Amino acid sequence: MRIAKTAIHPLIPFVSITALSEWMVKSGIVSSFLIPSPSSVVRAILDGGPDFWKAFLETAIGSGLGLLTSIVSGMSFAFLMTLSTRARLMFYPYAVFFQTVPIIAIAPLLVIWFGYGLPTVVAASFIVSVFPVIANSSAGLLGTDRLLLKLFKMMDASPRQVLFQLRLRAALPQILEGVRIAGGLAVIGAIVGEFISGTGLGGLVDSARNQQRVDRVFGAVLLASLLGILYFSAIAIVTRMLIRNQKGVEL
Amino acid sequence: MIELKSAGLVFGATGLGLGETNLTFRPGEWTSILGPSGCGKSTLLSLVSGLEKPGAGTVFNPYSKKETGFVFQDSALLPWLTVEENICLPLRLHGFGVAQARERAGEWVSKLRIDHHLDRFPDELSGGLKMRAALARALVSSPRVLLLDEPFSALDEPIRIELGIELRELFNQFKPIVILVTHSITEGLWLSDRTLVMSGQPGKVVFEARVGLPDSRTLAQRGQADFLALVEKCFGILKGAP
Repeated sequence: MRIAKTAIHPLIPFVSITALSEWMVKSGIVSSFLIPSPSSVVRAILDGGPDFWKAFLETAIGSGLGLLTSIVSGMSFAFLMTLSTRARLMFYPYAVFFQTVPIIAIAPLLVIWFGYGLPTVVAASFIVSVFPVIANSSAGLLGTDRLLLKLFKMMDASPRQVLFQLRLRAALPQILEGVRIAGGLAVIGAIVGEFISGTGLGGLVDSARNQQRVDRVFGAVLLASLLGILYFSAIAIVTRMLIRNQKGVEL
Repeated sequence: MIELKSAGLVFGATGLGLGETNLTFRPGEWTSILGPSGCGKSTLLSLVSGLEKPGAGTVFNPYSKKETGFVFQDSALLPWLTVEENICLPLRLHGFGVAQARERAGEWVSKLRIDHHLDRFPDELSGGLKMRAALARALVSSPRVLLLDEPFSALDEPIRIELGIELRELFNQFKPIVILVTHSITEGLWLSDRTLVMSGQPGKVVFEARVGLPDSRTLAQRGQADFLALVEKCFGILKGAP
């Protein structure tokens, strides 16, 4: 019942806006050269089925690998910074670099370094998505309740027990929130990488733009959004499985 | 026996903390500590438990952390663990298996009457039940030393009294060293065998009271003339304390 309620509410504006834009384009209020009607977008996706499916898979693989790399390296980095104050002081400013780097500007460099294809897409996806994982994981791991830390010390817990049974577990909601943000960013990074490397949904958008096929551009954007929603949902399911009964956790 | 020899710890130039103090805590004796905020009551517990090292003097404590139970003002239960998992936590950290830990916790669970709440999470419990769970967690290792840092201060009066009587009963059975830090003069005097009143910044023990009540505590004892005279005396000392 709750799931149905959660699913129905976002559908209301989606259906309304789709119907409104279909009517506006069909009645000539908005030019179909600027905004295609939703029905023509669906037709473009169906007509170009294999192209779209191949591009979707390429983007899913590129962004998925980028996200995975971000989770593994971002969490390792956060662990390092939790264990050593010196490491935190030395390396945290460089982590901020990943947040501030203009991916559009350095994407051509990535092609020079990694060539046209998957490695460039993964690198772009990683650069854009790693910072929320680092920031949220380290904030969660370092922000453990002082009273609970005192309790573990009183119970003579080993540093390993403190790290895994207290710090990591207490930080889990924040870590997963970081991963959830990174999921959306990983898709954006992958699309930017694909603009340059000419693969996936990003490559499809670029070629459709050159052909003035606005319907195909919208089709590719729709699939990219769908991929982002899939990541978001998958991470929400994992969160629900890992976290039981913890206040402040939005599922 | 735990001994403080000219032991003290003062934090910076604020004067907050414990001044040089000589104290002895014996097994089977419940000591309550009363005093104004900042006089070093909690610092005393930290020194005894080994969480802090004294700035001056020495603390002799032959008991390990595994033999020491600690209860804070906040129940400090881990929100992601059930009541039973929380109670078993000290044992699990010390290498006990799940079944073994559960079996050992069972005794304390029934003594503290939380048998029916074992599968619940802390945020589903009342303040009194949370404190019962925290007490069970502190007692599950059968500690030789029990350090209580204002454990009842957030509870309603009837629950405070009820838990106080029950904890005193458990103390009578196992006779560990108990040190209770409290702001309540009545509670401190009533529950303990010995009450130390502290004053000043840094804190010093300025008065020691022995209430001389029978082992079992009853509410009626709080109305006895001798007891009320002691309450009044402690109140006078605390009122004059800076």
